[in-house]
Amino acid sequence: MKINFHHPAPEKTPRIWRSLRELENDPEFEKHLHTEFPRGADVYQDSGLSKRDFIKLMGASIALAGVGLTGCRRPESYLVPFTKGVEFTIPGKFLYYATSMPARFGAIPLVATTSDGRPTKLEGNPLHPFSNGGTDTFAQAETLNLYDPHRSKQITENGKPSSREAFDAYVASVAQSDGSNLAILTEPSSSPTRARLRAALQTKFPKLVWAEYDPLAPTAANAANEASFGSSVRLVPQFSRADVILAIDSDFLNPIETGIGYAQGFSARRNPEQKGASMNRLYAVENHYTVTGGMADHRLRCKISETGEFARQLGLALAAATNNAALAEVANAFPASQTSIDPAWIKECAADLAKNAGSSIVLAGPMTPAPVQVLVNAINNALGNIGSTLLPVKADLVPAASIEDLAAAIDKGNVKTLFLMGVNPVYNAPANLGFKELLSKVPDTVHLGFFEDETGTASRWHVPAAHFLESWGDCRTFDGTYTSVQPMILPLWNGVSEIEVLNILSGATAPEGPSLVRETFNAIAPQATAESWNAFLRDGFLPESAFQQIQPTFNAATASGLAKKGAPAKADALELVFLQSSSVDDGRYANNSWLLETPDFVTKVTWDNVLMVSPATAVRLGIKTNNFGLLGDVAEKMGNDVNYDLIGDIVELSDGKSTIEAAAIVAPGHADDSLSIALGYGRKGVSALMDGVGFDAYPLRSSNSMRFLDGVTIKVTDRNYPIAQTQEHRSMEGRDLVREGSLERYAKDNAFAQTMGMDSHIPPNISLYTHPELNAKDQWGMTVDLNTCTGCNACVVACQAENNVPVVGKDQVRKNRDMAWIRLDRYFAGDSSDPEMLSHAIMCQHCENAPCETVCPVNATVHSEDGLNLMAYNRCIGTRYCANNCPWKVRRFNYFDYNQRPIDELYWGPLAKKGMADSLKMSKNPNVTVRMRGVMEKCTFCIQRIEEAKISRLVEAGPTPASDTPIAPFKVACQQACPNDSIVFGNIADPKSQVSRMRKDPRGYVMFKYLNVSPRVTYLARIRNPNPKMPGADLVGMANGSGHHGDAHGEHADQGHVDSHSDHHTEPAAH
Amino acid sequence: MSNASASAEPAEQLTAEEKQLVRAPLVLNKRTMGWISNYISSIVEAKTPIWWYVAMAITAPLTVMCLAMLVYLIATGVGVWGNNHPVGWAWDITNFVFWIGIGHAGTLISAILFLTRQKWRTSINRAAEAMTLFAVVCAGIYPALHVGRVWMAWFLAPVPNANGIWQNFRSPLLWDVFAVSTYFTVSVLFWYTGLIPDLATLRDRCKTKIRKFIYGVLALGWRGGNRQWRHYEMAYLILAGLSTPLVLSVHSVVSFDFATSVVPGWHTTIFPPYFVAGAIFGGFAMVLTIMIPACAVYKPLHDLVTIDHVDKMCKIILLTGSIVGYAYLMELFIAWYGSNPYEQAAFWYRAFGPYWWAYWSMMFCNVIAPQFFWFKCLRTHLVWVWIIVQFPNAGMWFERFVIIATTLARDFMPSAWGMFHPTWVDILTFVGTFGLFGTLFLLFIRFLPMICMFEVKAVLPEADPHHGEAHH
Repeated sequence: MKINFHHPAPEKTPRIWRSLRELENDPEFEKHLHTEFPRGADVYQDSGLSKRDFIKLMGASIALAGVGLTGCRRPESYLVPFTKGVEFTIPGKFLYYATSMPARFGAIPLVATTSDGRPTKLEGNPLHPFSNGGTDTFAQAETLNLYDPHRSKQITENGKPSSREAFDAYVASVAQSDGSNLAILTEPSSSPTRARLRAALQTKFPKLVWAEYDPLAPTAANAANEASFGSSVRLVPQFSRADVILAIDSDFLNPIETGIGYAQGFSARRNPEQKGASMNRLYAVENHYTVTGGMADHRLRCKISETGEFARQLGLALAAATNNAALAEVANAFPASQTSIDPAWIKECAADLAKNAGSSIVLAGPMTPAPVQVLVNAINNALGNIGSTLLPVKADLVPAASIEDLAAAIDKGNVKTLFLMGVNPVYNAPANLGFKELLSKVPDTVHLGFFEDETGTASRWHVPAAHFLESWGDCRTFDGTYTSVQPMILPLWNGVSEIEVLNILSGATAPEGPSLVRETFNAIAPQATAESWNAFLRDGFLPESAFQQIQPTFNAATASGLAKKGAPAKADALELVFLQSSSVDDGRYANNSWLLETPDFVTKVTWDNVLMVSPATAVRLGIKTNNFGLLGDVAEKMGNDVNYDLIGDIVELSDGKSTIEAAAIVAPGHADDSLSIALGYGRKGVSALMDGVGFDAYPLRSSNSMRFLDGVTIKVTDRNYPIAQTQEHRSMEGRDLVREGSLERYAKDNAFAQTMGMDSHIPPNISLYTHPELNAKDQWGMTVDLNTCTGCNACVVACQAENNVPVVGKDQVRKNRDMAWIRLDRYFAGDSSDPEMLSHAIMCQHCENAPCETVCPVNATVHSEDGLNLMAYNRCIGTRYCANNCPWKVRRFNYFDYNQRPIDELYWGPLAKKGMADSLKMSKNPNVTVRMRGVMEKCTFCIQRIEEAKISRLVEAGPTPASDTPIAPFKVACQQACPNDSIVFGNIADPKSQVSRMRKDPRGYVMFKYLNVSPRVTYLARIRNPNPKMPGADLVGMANGSGHHGDAHGEHADQGHVDSHSDHHTEPAAH
Repeated sequence: MSNASASAEPAEQLTAEEKQLVRAPLVLNKRTMGWISNYISSIVEAKTPIWWYVAMAITAPLTVMCLAMLVYLIATGVGVWGNNHPVGWAWDITNFVFWIGIGHAGTLISAILFLTRQKWRTSINRAAEAMTLFAVVCAGIYPALHVGRVWMAWFLAPVPNANGIWQNFRSPLLWDVFAVSTYFTVSVLFWYTGLIPDLATLRDRCKTKIRKFIYGVLALGWRGGNRQWRHYEMAYLILAGLSTPLVLSVHSVVSFDFATSVVPGWHTTIFPPYFVAGAIFGGFAMVLTIMIPACAVYKPLHDLVTIDHVDKMCKIILLTGSIVGYAYLMELFIAWYGSNPYEQAAFWYRAFGPYWWAYWSMMFCNVIAPQFFWFKCLRTHLVWVWIIVQFPNAGMWFERFVIIATTLARDFMPSAWGMFHPTWVDILTFVGTFGLFGTLFLLFIRFLPMICMFEVKAVLPEADPHHGEAHH
């Protein structure tokens, strides 16, 4: 097979690419053009980007990596212009390539879907050993990042446009120097290629300062592991072996914190029916509700400053129970402090852990201070978990200077040339360093970044960075599996990757992405052949390349030395905890509108970060809990949640030196005297989208308060701030929507969920209508296992990416017009200060007897023979009757032309700019209609994937009847993204299919059975596994009450408090 | 039959027993046939009064504003209103049902009272029917323009199209389209048919050629011959027979929009009779709201639209208001008795949820306020009547708002609950429909006889061939 690859000639003039920015019709850009960034004005004026140019340059495809490449003329670059009609592509058919997304905890292995050369969707790589095929929200949103029209597109020097040649010449001149005043600040990375280039650079420039900084890096965890077990040791948890798990300040079930693959095995052990192993039990100790806390069987609200004391007391209890001297030494070394933690909680938790020694895991979060982490290591060591449930491996961590070290070097004047690669320290460095002023002391600074951000504008050079979908690279997942990163498209705006810059800096002449990676591969792979390299690219990873397991010994002396540095909790002090944002991470996704509009897991706030405060502390500090004063209080007493259209009080927080402002909201389940705020918001002057979004918390974060600031002062102002929430109501109002029970109840009656509430005594349903027969061979259905669904949002963003779901903006979210096709409802049950949290994935239920279909006057929503509730956009006139009649309220109406008009000009009507940025058009899934205004839309069960599978079956069946050929397995977008496999989709007519088996699970129930709508989505009730000896164990798993009635007969006076009257029904009602 | 005792006719020739048997006259002050023709025609023929220009100066800009809001709506999207995801219908359908309800009294007075030989209807039916038509025009704006893609609204019409897709006849919304359009069509025909003899009268009195031509065309060649009268009366009777079921059906069908849904608070069988009663209730209130000021302007009309008419209409308001009140209570009872927690919650939230103010406003306006009409002194005092009927007017709007918006705001899933807040476009459009209504009514007063001259003449004592015989 001969494939003639023609790599497109590098474009000499950057004219075409730059004019794209003009094409996006961004008024903010016009403003920038003439005010803030006048340097680009002359270049941007020109236009002339023809469709032909587009196809030629942007429609670049990737050759099927690894097939017959060795015989090719240009094996080093596999990108082919799409004008050439690549041999193996069929126009309109997707091609899939393995790649991965570099992430904080290693990497997220991915399969990229490319459509005519454009990557349009990213999905988890199910082949990868350290992945369960899921992804997190960030990976799902990366396609939007790739096509973000606000990305920087121009190399600039001192604010003026420059060229790649000039920049290369500059880097070459640095490469010629002796590097004595050279420093590099970059993010920690798992890339072996980068490590190799770094080593080469450090050999070339012995005095090079190589510093690494990431505001959310697990620096403390690494330090604690080093003190406990020696350098470069990493503990890889094996949740499949753990019966009892204690998470201290750790949101390990949330893939955005720990990465995909970290928590694998947990959900399998969550199944009460699993053979051979009991259901696991999860304890969580945290200050604010996380998804892990929501999954926990027992949750302790605890200030972060007191988690050290918690760990100390737990350590002492376990040291006594296990007779472990090392643990006693470390626990005693940790400074004691006074706390109000319930001793019974610690005692019983310790007893449960001790009983399950060797089959338990105690976890601390990545940012938890190192002294606490070292205590946790000592506890795991005493329990014998190291080596059984926590596999120690020898990672390839190479120590780097910290940002503090770099700051000291700059301060001393030792740094004359500073490369800032992929970092934004001007925005996010610890506030005590004053990085912006420091940067002005360095004459030559080079910034490589996606945006001309705070650091970019403060640097001499700014270079657009290449996206990981545009560049070659590699990385290791958390367990060390060597994983490939390969480009899907040529850099849209001439971005440069970090390894290319490092390569030039090391003196090489041309940046050659693939050869750089291949060189590393040859060093790592035991037998590096062309075949193994091709397999590496094809599968996305190198098999058997995980880090070696080792047998470390716990070093009590160094560990207790670190534990001694623990900070005792300040009594009566108010602490401020810095959180990773669920939407913008540390601020790097601040321009991603999909993520900005994705509601926070717990608060359901979009577009902003807010200061979370417990109800009791809010009252103590004078923060309003509702917006209606006395009338609101009365209404609340009557059972009304009056926080609709939430308006938050603006508070001022100060550490004595700096002051920040933030809007406060009351967060049920938050620890008292503790405040939490997510990082990454409040950025100004970078792009129109970031401006005016949220509050910047970095000014209060310093080197010694990276996780929390103990002793913050607060002042409640009389100003308000509007907040956009997608869900305002907190309580389930006694309705049996999410059904849960304890393991004990499940053991007594494993089908308890099917007869809850009204379902226990509704008469048999009859229908007035005879419906068309559902007679297709495939009948599509879905199950959602509420026992493993954490509410992590991955499905929400995956659906958005797959189905071209538009973003509507904060103002529209406040008007309840968000467009998400799948939403994660979150309910609190029980006492509002310390409630249980339940999460509930809601999408179109594809009712067989759909209430939406009967009411549509124009037959725009109808049923297919294979059981899908179809939506014909062309036929829809937008009466909204279907949405009114949908009990799930999953139908979404295009109140404006969200796809065509800028979200800040929606009300301008025809006067608003029309059209979508060209690059955003490229991000759309070509198989899904982009909806216009005035039509209704909703979950389609990814009908485009169903049809794709059916077409494949036809092709495969050939002349034989298609109905005899089984359909190839495929997944819908939400199912594919789910890191816990909570969503199962498939053919319910096939009794052997997984979805059929799941539907028969005794935990399965359908919602609103009394309506006789026959939903195709079955929910599997949630089972909690409380420890009966724990305080409050009798309330666990009681969100619906314990009776068969639920609250079906609840008195009116109890509406609104029904969630707390679960204890009224102590006995199942006699029916 | 008429039993009013507020007769002003002197009956000096009668004995006390006979006095009790004599019916109160429907036209006071012994107005003659000639006076009736002269006076009612003179309203149309006289120079346009100043007050008319003043009133028009208020309503015409409001009409223009309404049209501007609708243009903005169509150009921009339904999002300019406050509708949102749980509350897909809000002021649009509220106002639609409100106006449709108002449009009930006219045809009811014309058709049902005609068939039941209620002669007192003659002096008010013309204006009431006109009011019906104008209210239906206002109502029709909303269902036509509340849809997301107005330019595709023709999909609702059963016309062949290239896609070969037929309408969904299971949808109450489609029934609505047919019900309202049929009602409007028949009401127009009924009204126009009743106008023909009076148009001929106007034509015959015209002094200018243009007027003569216009009224001549509109009078369709009416000469008042016997055959014409025979045809006319048959046609009128048939149209009355057609209209009568429509009066009852149109609001029943409107109520099916809600009653056939699964939404708790909507899904209830009481809706059709309750909606019809409410519509008559609101419609009569609106007739009084308009007729009382009109008679105040044209004072001699008090001889035609007498205090007796007002009294009767107040009684109907009292009756229908009480039916509505009974329906409200029955809804609550059934919600409790039905033991469906979703139903119970829906009614609980109506009364004590975030929209409690709308519910209690409705309760006061529709149930409490009409009870004042138990007192005759209030029923016969025009100022009091006018004040009291404003409560049903407002209350019926609140009723529709409560049923539509507040029910949708909190239905099955608390996670999806959300409040509706009207926008300025919502408010101005609604205010604008009053402008449209007023403009049309002012044009009607100015150019058409607002009282049916020939029918009023027919109820004069002189029209009775046996007039005066009993006394001689």
